[in-house]
Amino acid sequence: MGQVTPDMSVALNIADMSEEQLDVAERRIAGKYMQIVPWEIVLWGIGNTLIWLSLWPLVFMDIMPLWMAFPIALVCVHLSYLPSHDCQHSIIAREGRPLRWLNELVGHIALIPMAAPLRYLRHTHMEHHRHTNDPELDPDFDVHAKNRRQFFMQMLLKKQPGNGGRDRYAETLVRIGRPELMIEAAAIRSVHTLVLIIGAWSGHAIEVALLWWLPLQIMPFYISYYLSWKPHHPGSETSRYRDTSAFKSQLGNLGSSGMQYHIVHHLYPTIPLTKTPAAFRELKPILERRGCEFGGLTH
Amino acid sequence: MIEKILRLLFHPLTFAIGFLAPLTTQSLIALEVMTSGTEALVVGLAVGIGFGLMAMIRGSWIWVK
Repeated sequence: MGQVTPDMSVALNIADMSEEQLDVAERRIAGKYMQIVPWEIVLWGIGNTLIWLSLWPLVFMDIMPLWMAFPIALVCVHLSYLPSHDCQHSIIAREGRPLRWLNELVGHIALIPMAAPLRYLRHTHMEHHRHTNDPELDPDFDVHAKNRRQFFMQMLLKKQPGNGGRDRYAETLVRIGRPELMIEAAAIRSVHTLVLIIGAWSGHAIEVALLWWLPLQIMPFYISYYLSWKPHHPGSETSRYRDTSAFKSQLGNLGSSGMQYHIVHHLYPTIPLTKTPAAFRELKPILERRGCEFGGLTH
Repeated sequence: MIEKILRLLFHPLTFAIGFLAPLTTQSLIALEVMTSGTEALVVGLAVGIGFGLMAMIRGSWIWVK
């Protein structure tokens, strides 16, 4: 088998490879991007939370106006999920590795603006990877919708207290034998609710609304759209190379939270988010042969 | 016991009275729609409890289900 590099001669060779050779080539390329400590994710996860936390004293001490702090809080809440997502996959360090403590620290700290617990998200997210697009077992299956408009409508209705829908995350945790993680989630949500109530009745309702409550109402739409709905749409396929697709976003890769290359993440979940574009470009000829969907993404 | 506390904390009326009512009150004052604190508080409570009852009885904060 020839050397696998991204040049044209090898791209031509890929067409002649057997399935077995293709597997080896694919894994060899992916392996180059794994087991890298993504220090930028460490900085992002901790820095983003510190910025969000700093908004509180800046606003309360009248150093920063609320109209300026609100959009920053929106961005911070949005940016809090992605570093934790890398930590959910133990990308900084797996269990037993020297930097494992850092992986867990970043994972917990990054999620503070989202008022969400790391382990609850990790265990449900792993089930999403194991059962992507499975109507019964994928905890994220409810995001599927015929089109963008229906997706946003569904999200809005799902947030209502009497929506009558299944709590797929709770079902998943019970199924995998980790129901105690729901207590962790309830505890964190309780703290969040108490901060809102105490803040509001102490005369700071507008501040807590714009720094925490409203960003947490708005950003899940954006996060779910790019992280769940778009890369898995239409959600009808469950095979390794077809359950997730690449796509070309009008907002670019940054505007879509790096999700244009989500297909790489589903194939190799331990490749750091920041390395998925390079991995995609190198894997593209192989993924083309695999029949993957690129959604207009060329590079 | 813990379950009862959590049910109370996450009840729509708790959120309505605990958060929406003071938020409405303080927004009315900040936007100079009302100047009297008591008057704004009464309106805030009415709005908050109204939304809370809608969420509790109809199961939706926005009427649409």
